[in-house]
Amino acid sequence: MKARTGWLGITLAVLGAMASVGTLWMVFFWVPTERTMGVVQRIFYIHVPSAWVAFLAFGIVAVASGVYLWLGDERADMAAQAAAEGGLLFTVIVLTTGPLWGKIAWGTYWTWEPRLTLTLILGFIYVGYMMVRSAAASPEQGKRFAAVVGIVGALFIPLIHMSVYWFRGLHPDPVILNPEGPTADWEIQATLYAGLLAFTLLFLGLMTLRYGVERARHVLELREAA
Amino acid sequence: MTGPGWLSVVTAVAGKDLRIEFRTRSRSLTMAGFVVLVGVLFNFSIDQALVRPQDIASGLTWITLILSGLIGVGRTFAIEKEDGALAGLLLTPAPRDAIYVGKVLANFLLVYAIVLLTIGVFGLFFRLDYGNHPGALLGILAAGTLGFVALATLFGALTASTTLGESLLPILLFPLLVPMVVYGASASGRLLAGRPVAEVAGQGRMLAAFAVLAVGAGAALFGQIVEE
Repeated sequence: MKARTGWLGITLAVLGAMASVGTLWMVFFWVPTERTMGVVQRIFYIHVPSAWVAFLAFGIVAVASGVYLWLGDERADMAAQAAAEGGLLFTVIVLTTGPLWGKIAWGTYWTWEPRLTLTLILGFIYVGYMMVRSAAASPEQGKRFAAVVGIVGALFIPLIHMSVYWFRGLHPDPVILNPEGPTADWEIQATLYAGLLAFTLLFLGLMTLRYGVERARHVLELREAA
Repeated sequence: MTGPGWLSVVTAVAGKDLRIEFRTRSRSLTMAGFVVLVGVLFNFSIDQALVRPQDIASGLTWITLILSGLIGVGRTFAIEKEDGALAGLLLTPAPRDAIYVGKVLANFLLVYAIVLLTIGVFGLFFRLDYGNHPGALLGILAAGTLGFVALATLFGALTASTTLGESLLPILLFPLLVPMVVYGASASGRLLAGRPVAEVAGQGRMLAAFAVLAVGAGAALFGQIVEE
């Protein structure tokens, strides 16, 4: 791993970890209990930032895949791969925290609620993306195939989103991003923003480290081939 | 370009695939058999004391389209692997997107013929009433079939060159078929229930958008998949 990439990754990951600890402190000791939902609402501060990161990661996968197919730059493929693995991790967190909250708030672990459904589909696209990469006949082919899957997935996500919304809607209304401005108390907002910052830093740190590992592998392969 | 025109490549590739199919009947016969047998099994899977077959026939039709389509489209590049047929095709100056569109066209005609058979068989088995708006129903199914075939052909080309082969195809394909099943099953279900065509116009538009997006994405990215 290049020293610069390594230090950047470690710095981001450590900052992200520190911010996560701070967020956890805010979630458990500082933010007041939400009036209608009660204590279970505190999972929101883990759930929403994870969902944000899961979709951010998929955006990175799509853009990096496009750059890879267009320019053929290996680094773009490594970035896409690193983002996909981090994205799948946070998708799993969303799909774990969502049902835990849903069991208490909605009375059921699973419901075909649009955003939950969309995240599940996103997770499946990530899984397909990784399977294609590992099942290809050659590493070069795997990179191109994975890029195609990443791009097509991103093209279809808006349509999938519209269709699952149209199918059924039950999710709590947005309390932060709605046209009339945030309706949540400022402590709730502050804790959510802390969570968003923490998880974004953590993800970018993990992604950078994963990218560094992939680059180091690449350099090693070139050396062995020489 | 001095080679053949874009459209003539499309018709040549589609014609070749359809001629192979017409002579061997390998895919159409397995798909037709599959559709009839699945209809029989569906019939026995429904407890008619609890649910009327007419109420779920629409969803079953779309699932049958997907599963029988997988059998047909999954084979399309297996044929091309024999004797390096695809490699020969790619050595010609034919544009990649024209080859793709040709394959999509041939697969569409094949799968749509099977869809028509499904409609007939299910209509008979489940006593469905197609009397109200048969044209709208066929249009809805055509749009859904085109989008399905476009994605399945793209990913079929991809999975054919992987070590997992066709078993990987559903993993890649099914997540993207959610809009097709949501809008398609709703539209055909409402038409079967005798609701007016105006009520399914929105779903029809979304299915058309699905098909256009699928064909466009496939034509743009097919070259990346077959590149050696």
